Amino acid sequence: MAQGAGVLDALAATPLAGAMRESAWLYPIVEIVHIAGFSVLVGSVVLFDLRVLGCATSLPLAALGRHLLRWALASLVLVIPAGLLLFSAHPGELAANPVFLLKLTLIALAGCNALAFHLLPYRSVAGWDRERAAPLLARLGAGLSILLWLGVISCGRMLAYV
Amino acid sequence: MKRLILLAAGLVFSAGTLAHHGWSEYESDKPLDLTGTIEQAGYEQPHGFVRLKTADKTWLVVLAPPSRMENRGLMKEKLVPGQRASVHGYPHRSKADEMRAENITIEGKTTELR
Repeated sequence: MAQGAGVLDALAATPLAGAMRESAWLYPIVEIVHIAGFSVLVGSVVLFDLRVLGCATSLPLAALGRHLLRWALASLVLVIPAGLLLFSAHPGELAANPVFLLKLTLIALAGCNALAFHLLPYRSVAGWDRERAAPLLARLGAGLSILLWLGVISCGRMLAYV
Repeated sequence: MKRLILLAAGLVFSAGTLAHHGWSEYESDKPLDLTGTIEQAGYEQPHGFVRLKTADKTWLVVLAPPSRMENRGLMKEKLVPGQRASVHGYPHRSKADEMRAENITIEGKTTELR
């Protein structure tokens, strides 16, 4: 634990973390990048999930997935570095903040859920690509995905208030 | 389909009602006036703070974002250790030595922080 605190203090002491706290414009700009990134991330994921849940079944699911999920992955190039920068400004406080830990847990769960979705029900997507209901396991995964990502966003927003 | 949209709307709404606003962690029905000496000051993002040494204890006083303080005329040079300051604000619900300031008075000049 003390060693962990040492790493966090070292991170907070870096010039970049200092600039995040001191600069008038850097912190808000990084916040904007983080938000723009996760708008694309959660937007594409949720629209894909809604399609799995039965919205717009005339759209071929596999093709839609290729389009949306590619953008979801690409958005991580903005989301993750910006998130790390925001974390670096006050790492000690955030690491001790239960809402932040819940947010990280939900992100991990959302990742595992996505992986399980692709390894299990999505393999048979050819059978329910258009005008067919997705199997129950796929719909459960899609519903869980929406809940988890809404939870992640809620936790992120709540960080300012706890 | 309609049911799905209603479900989504319900989820978004409930997430919204769960979200506090920035002052709800502080007890606005128990206003607090403190005067003391600044021990440590942070004119920093996402919001500034001072550690204010009063007669009985040292408080962590949460202030506003630096850009807002600057716009309202509370300059970084005034927020320094050794400076006398008075704050009017509200105590945190669970953290015994934290409060959020509605305004801060330094050298007779009061700056609103909300």
